[in-house]
Amino acid sequence: MTTTSTPARADRPAGPDHGTSPATTPGPAGPPDPDAAISVRGLVRRYGSGKDAFEAVRGLDLDVPRGTVTGLLGTNGAGKTSTLEVIEGLAPATQGTVQVLGHHPIKDRATVRRRTGVLLQSTGFPGDLTVAETARMWHSTLSDPRPVDEALDMLDLRGRAKVKVSSLSGGERRRLDLACTLMGRPELVLLDEPTTGLDPESRREVWRLVRRLREAGATVVITTHYLDEAEALADRLEIMHAGRIVRSGTAGEIAEGHPSTITFDRLERALPDLAGGQVDQSTLGDPRTVVETVDLQTTLTALLDWARAERVRIDGLDARTASLESVFLSIADGAEADTRRTEPTSKGA
Amino acid sequence: MSATTTAPVDLTPAGGGTSGASGPSLRRVVGLARANTILLTRNKMTLAYALVFPLTPLLLLLASDRGDVTAGIGSVTNVLMLGALFPVYYNLLSMVVTRRDELVLKRLRTGESRDGELLVSMALPGLVVFAALSVLAIGVSSALGQPLPSNPVLVVATVLLTAVTFAGLAFWTAAWTRNAEAAQLTSMPVILLAVIGSLRAVLPEATHRYLDLTPGAALDLLSRIAWFGQDQDGAALSFADSFAAAGQPLAVLLGWTVLAGVLVRRSMRWEPRV
Ligand SMILES: Nc1ncnc2c1ncn2[C@@H]1O[C@H](COP(=O)(O)OP(=O)(O)OP(=O)(O)O)[C@@H](O)[C@H]1O
Ligand SMILES: [Mg+2]
Repeated sequence: MTTTSTPARADRPAGPDHGTSPATTPGPAGPPDPDAAISVRGLVRRYGSGKDAFEAVRGLDLDVPRGTVTGLLGTNGAGKTSTLEVIEGLAPATQGTVQVLGHHPIKDRATVRRRTGVLLQSTGFPGDLTVAETARMWHSTLSDPRPVDEALDMLDLRGRAKVKVSSLSGGERRRLDLACTLMGRPELVLLDEPTTGLDPESRREVWRLVRRLREAGATVVITTHYLDEAEALADRLEIMHAGRIVRSGTAGEIAEGHPSTITFDRLERALPDLAGGQVDQSTLGDPRTVVETVDLQTTLTALLDWARAERVRIDGLDARTASLESVFLSIADGAEADTRRTEPTSKGA
Repeated sequence: MSATTTAPVDLTPAGGGTSGASGPSLRRVVGLARANTILLTRNKMTLAYALVFPLTPLLLLLASDRGDVTAGIGSVTNVLMLGALFPVYYNLLSMVVTRRDELVLKRLRTGESRDGELLVSMALPGLVVFAALSVLAIGVSSALGQPLPSNPVLVVATVLLTAVTFAGLAFWTAAWTRNAEAAQLTSMPVILLAVIGSLRAVLPEATHRYLDLTPGAALDLLSRIAWFGQDQDGAALSFADSFAAAGQPLAVLLGWTVLAGVLVRRSMRWEPRV
C-alpha cells in the first residue's frame, strides 16, 4: 500500500513574496506591479486574422515576484509558449499590458534583454558549428557575459567543445542551449520546457541549476509537463488552460479542497457506507475501484474497519491526498469541454 | 552529465540596469559574421562555387584579342553580375531560409542582438566574397591585357551598391520562400531581373527605357563608365565626366537599394511559417 501526500515544503525558505493570494483567484488585478519581475494584465495573443484567427492567450493576468521560481503548467496548447514569447519580446501582445523588470519588453528591448536569459521550447543552433564556436558566437552578442569555458563547464559540456552541434545528442544540444541562456548572467530566466528530452541525471542537474539561480537572487519562470519537477522547483505554480490562468498558488494550495482518492482492486461484494467517500461511478466496470473523499483519514478508516470485520482482503490498496496531478487532470478534462466551445482553430494542436 | 564535475560557478546575476545601453553593436556584428563565415567555409561546395564560378567569364578574354575592350566590358560586367547573383544573392537567400527553418534566427532574436545586426552579419560574408571577386577580376583582366579601372571611386561605389541591393533582394525573397529547395524557384525573378538588363544590346530599342531601370543594366553601364571610361555608346569619358555619366545608373541602383530595404522591413520573417 502506498500513501502519498503533498509534502509541506518547509525544507526551503519561502520566497520573498509568494503565497499571498489564495490558490483559486483567477489572477492579480489592478495596474501592473512595477516591483514584480514580470507583470501581465489582460494579455491576449491572437494568431492570424479574420476567419482564421485563433486566440491562443485570452486575457491572462500574472505577477511573478522577484527572486522566486514560478512554474507555468498546462496541457499541450494551453498557451504557455505563446505567453512566454510575448514576455520575451519576440511577439507583440494583441491586447493587454506586459511589464518585464518594470519595462516594456519590445520598446525597452535593450534594457530588458541584457538582463534576461531565454530558453525557447525548441533549440535553434546551426548544425555545422562546434559547441565551442556556438558558445563563442553567443558570447560575442552579450554585454557582460561569463567566460565561454565557464558557461560550458556549468553544463558539463567542456568535453564536447570540439563536437559539431549536429553530432550532439538531443540532451547535449539542450544543455548547450541552456549554457547560452545563462551565459549573460541574467537576473530573469525564462525556461520553456528545459528538461524535456533530458535523461534523469541531466534533469537533476538542471534542477540544481535552477535552485542555485534562485539562491543567487535570480527570478525563474519554467514551463514543464513534469508535475513532480514543478512541485520540486517552483515557489508558485500557475496552471494555464485554454489561454488563461485558472489556478495559482503553491502545490498545496492548489490541491486544497480537491478530493483525495482511494483505489483498490475491484471487490466481488458491495461496499459499506464510507463516511462521505463516494465510488467514482465512471470506474464501476473497471478492474480498479476508485473512491473519492474530502476526508481521507475517516474514509480510509471506515474502509479498513469494514474489511477487518468482514474479513475482506483488499488488494492493490492505494490512498492519496489530492495532488497536483489530480487537480491538473481535472482541469485538463474541463479543458475538453472548453475547447469544444471555442471557435474552430486555424491550426491543429 | 555527472554531478561531480560541475564546478560551483557563481550564478549571481550581473545586476544590469546600471545603464540602459547594450554592449557595442560592432562586437555583436563581428562575432555573428565570424560564425556565418565559419559556416560558409564548412560547406566546401558552396564556397568553391561562390568563389570560382563568377570568375568564369574572364575565360572569354583568353579567346579574344588582347586588349579587346568589348570583350573586356562583357567579361568584367558578367563577373560582377554573377558575383552579385551567387555569393551575395543566392547564398544569402539560402542562408536566411535555412537559419530561419532551423530556428537559429528565432534563437538569436531572444538575445541582445538587434534585427539589423543579424541581417548585416548574415550578409557580410557574401559581401566580402563579392569584394574579393572584384579585386580578382581587376588582377586577372589586367594580366590579360585589359585596362585598370579608370575611376576606382565609382567602381567601389558600384560594387557596394550592387552588393547591398542584392543582399536586400535576398532577404525579401526569403520572406516568401518556404524552404531551401523552394529557393531554386523563388530566386528566378531576381535572377531574371539582373540578367535581362545585360541583354540590352540584343533587345529592341523600344525596350531600353525600361531595361535601363533594371539593376542589371545599371551595373552594365557602370562597369563601362567606371572601369573602361566609356559611355553607353562607346565614346571616351574624362575622369570628371565619368562622375556625371554615372549619375543615372547609380540613382537606379540606389533606388533598388531603397526598394529592397523597404520590402525587407515590411516582409522579413524570423520564424518558419506554421
Ligand atoms: N503560429 C501559430 N499560428 C496559429 N496558431 C498557433 C501558432 N502557434 C501556436 N498556435 C496555437 O496556439 C495554441 C497555444 O500554443 P502554445 O504553443 O502556446 O501552447 P503550449 O501551452 O506552449 O503547448 P505545449 O505544451 O504543447 O508546448 C495552440 O492551440 C497552437 O496550436
Ligand atoms: Mg509550449
